[in-house]
Amino acid sequence: MEKLGYDWIKSEAGRVDISSGYYCQTRDVFQARLEKMQNDLLADGRIKEDQVYIVSAIAGEIGNNSFDHNLGNWPDAPGVFFAYGFSDGKLKIVLADRGQGILKTLKSVKPELTDDARALDTAFNEKISGRAPENRGNGLKFVKANIKSAGLRLIFISGKAEAGLDEKMEIREAKEKLNGCLAILTV
Amino acid sequence: MRIEMKKFGEMLISRPAGREAFLAMSAYLTKDLPEDEMIEIDFAGVKVLTPSFADEIITKIAEKFKNVKLLNTENITVQSTLKALREYSDLRI
Repeated sequence: MEKLGYDWIKSEAGRVDISSGYYCQTRDVFQARLEKMQNDLLADGRIKEDQVYIVSAIAGEIGNNSFDHNLGNWPDAPGVFFAYGFSDGKLKIVLADRGQGILKTLKSVKPELTDDARALDTAFNEKISGRAPENRGNGLKFVKANIKSAGLRLIFISGKAEAGLDEKMEIREAKEKLNGCLAILTV
Repeated sequence: MRIEMKKFGEMLISRPAGREAFLAMSAYLTKDLPEDEMIEIDFAGVKVLTPSFADEIITKIAEKFKNVKLLNTENITVQSTLKALREYSDLRI
């Protein structure tokens, strides 16, 4: 599933698999599949009810961020890749978009940002709006707080930087550059 | 006036949906109410709430009315979202 996410975000422009069942071209499709995931997880029972709601909220924030910050600016395929499933007893949720990425999004309100690592640090830690003057763009702080309190793990890659979050947060160089954003949540 | 959030859905996630909920509420529920009207926001039945949705409706209600009470906030995502709004959106209820 993670490989499918990587393959989707790394596909050449014009060769993106938009027929995939994991592809949500619009926000409505994403919301419907998110509700399906929640219902599937509640029916499955391996994850506690409270945890299912937290996971839905985190995935919802990350997925909707993609639409919020790329509306009218998608470089090629609009929308998000969204897949989930159990592997070795752990739930994995993969979200990806082929949008502008965190650095370009935040640079409009914080021009001094020059690299992907600092942009990720800002997105997860600073009170800022990527769509100023609107008061928005603080969803990743909510994500970070809930990853920590619920004992989850998140890998978030944008550009050449990768953030690893669990009880703490670490930013490192990504193995390869990814345009847009890729998030892998482990429960 | 009591606003039952579950009437907007059990899974309240996106910003456009929150904005739409606020507009509908302003047209049908809170229209012409004085700013000192007691507004009770009831979260009973809500399963998932995110800061994106809530910022478009809860923060705006709190800006518009002086007396706002939050009811049935036990859900873990409601708690976490309200905490985030207090921290990042200057919500003061």
